[in-house]
Amino acid sequence: MIIFENVSKHYPPNIKALDNFNIEIKPGEFVSIVGQSGTGKTTMVKLLIGEERATKGRIMLGDWDITNIKQREVPYLRRQIGVIFQDFKLLPQKTLFENVAFAMQVCGEPPSQISAKVPQIFKLVGLEKKMDRYPNEISGGEQQRVVIARSLIHHPKILLADEPTGNLDSINAADIINLLEKINKFGTIVILVTHNKEVVNSLRRRVVTIDAGRVISDQKIGKYIL
Amino acid sequence: MIILSFWRVIKFSLQDFFRNFWLSLVTVTILILSLFSINFLITAGVISQAAVGAVEKKIDLSLYLAPDAAEEDVSVLKNEITGIAGVEEVEYISKAQALETFQAKHKDEKSVQEALREIGKNPLNPSLVVRTKALADYNGVIDSLDKLSKHTIIESKNFDDHKILLASMNIITAKTRQVGFFVSFIFVAITILVVFNAVRIAIYTHKKEIRIMKLVGASDWFIRAPFLAEAAWYAFLGVVLIIAIFYPFLHLLQPYLATLFNATELNLIGYFNSNFIRIFGLEFLGAFFINITASLWAMRNYLKV
Repeated sequence: MIIFENVSKHYPPNIKALDNFNIEIKPGEFVSIVGQSGTGKTTMVKLLIGEERATKGRIMLGDWDITNIKQREVPYLRRQIGVIFQDFKLLPQKTLFENVAFAMQVCGEPPSQISAKVPQIFKLVGLEKKMDRYPNEISGGEQQRVVIARSLIHHPKILLADEPTGNLDSINAADIINLLEKINKFGTIVILVTHNKEVVNSLRRRVVTIDAGRVISDQKIGKYIL
Repeated sequence: MIILSFWRVIKFSLQDFFRNFWLSLVTVTILILSLFSINFLITAGVISQAAVGAVEKKIDLSLYLAPDAAEEDVSVLKNEITGIAGVEEVEYISKAQALETFQAKHKDEKSVQEALREIGKNPLNPSLVVRTKALADYNGVIDSLDKLSKHTIIESKNFDDHKILLASMNIITAKTRQVGFFVSFIFVAITILVVFNAVRIAIYTHKKEIRIMKLVGASDWFIRAPFLAEAAWYAFLGVVLIIAIFYPFLHLLQPYLATLFNATELNLIGYFNSNFIRIFGLEFLGAFFINITASLWAMRNYLKV
């Protein structure tokens, strides 16, 4: 469970990115966070992955209070949250296999685990036959699937997707959303931060709308209302 | 897991090294120049020490006595000089011994031999030759010898030149050391800046990897460690290469020095061999410390984890 309780995040001189922000996300939920640019969506993401600290309020991840998480604890937090961004952030000089294996290597996973788990993850995202290719040899949609594979390698409880379809055409975007739904079915919380009205409306899932750093709408089966 | 992570840090640091190969090469080259200047300073120190030692052996202080000086008076003077602090030995050279030495020294010079024959008698004076325990004692002994005015048998003293020579040697040694320190300081400062820049560029070229490492939960030390390891590689390679470069340099230098000193007085290669661990071990530690400091400085400014 994720809880943001009266969370505010202020930047100098007087910018209120989040202002008394409240949200509660239960295990297994699929939540779309929508809002126009500069309304606080990315700040929420940064607070959740420990990249920023809240000015006030409380952020809980299960029983873990991560509001003022210590820097040395951040890596452990990030192993519980898979993150996907709009720009694919794959390493061009590594194969797709190596890109995903890299995420395991830097966290100290042994080679035997890497060679066993990486093909399984590629199978989940439907790219098991393209593991030896380089990022520039596959499409944008496929690259985003590799990023999803990489974000799932530590079996996170939460998958945080910040504009994952921003650089994709509608067909590839639909593929990615289908994949996120598939992952959600395994019990992983999926938080989709997006501008994409079509995607949000087609999902028929919970939609939280943010404006000026506050939640202005929280619908169980919602639509893009802006 | 620690060993595995350590191995991966080494692997990533080597990847960093070779990815920016030309930059790494320049960094190591600058480090080699620094180490070369330091080793040159050590070499200059050894040479000047040997030179001082050689001069020390050759320099003596001579007191020329009256030709008719009574043996008793000479003996009193000798005892008094022996009692001066810092005096190692006092040798009496008789007129006959002085002539013998003089003739041996100028045996091939006909004009000198003829002049001696022309005079028809031994023109040389007896003398007392004073040697001190150490070079540093010379000035004190000279001052004491200058005060021996009550002894009328002393006709003349010869040690002014020695004073000048020793003063010149001390000035040259001190100047060489000063210039050496200055050059080494400049090179060390340049090394710090170059290593700082190399790590800064390495951080820049690995921006994407660093971002991914942070996102997937790599620990701070795992992100930072390859840059520290890279700085350690620079130090290691710098010292290995300076060993490979400096020994041939010593081999080239040694024959020239052999014409000035005998083998027992100065053997540079032998000196570096017997102090190998002390010299190159300390140089590695110094280079390691400097590089790690520069690397930490660059990380502090450019690597936000």
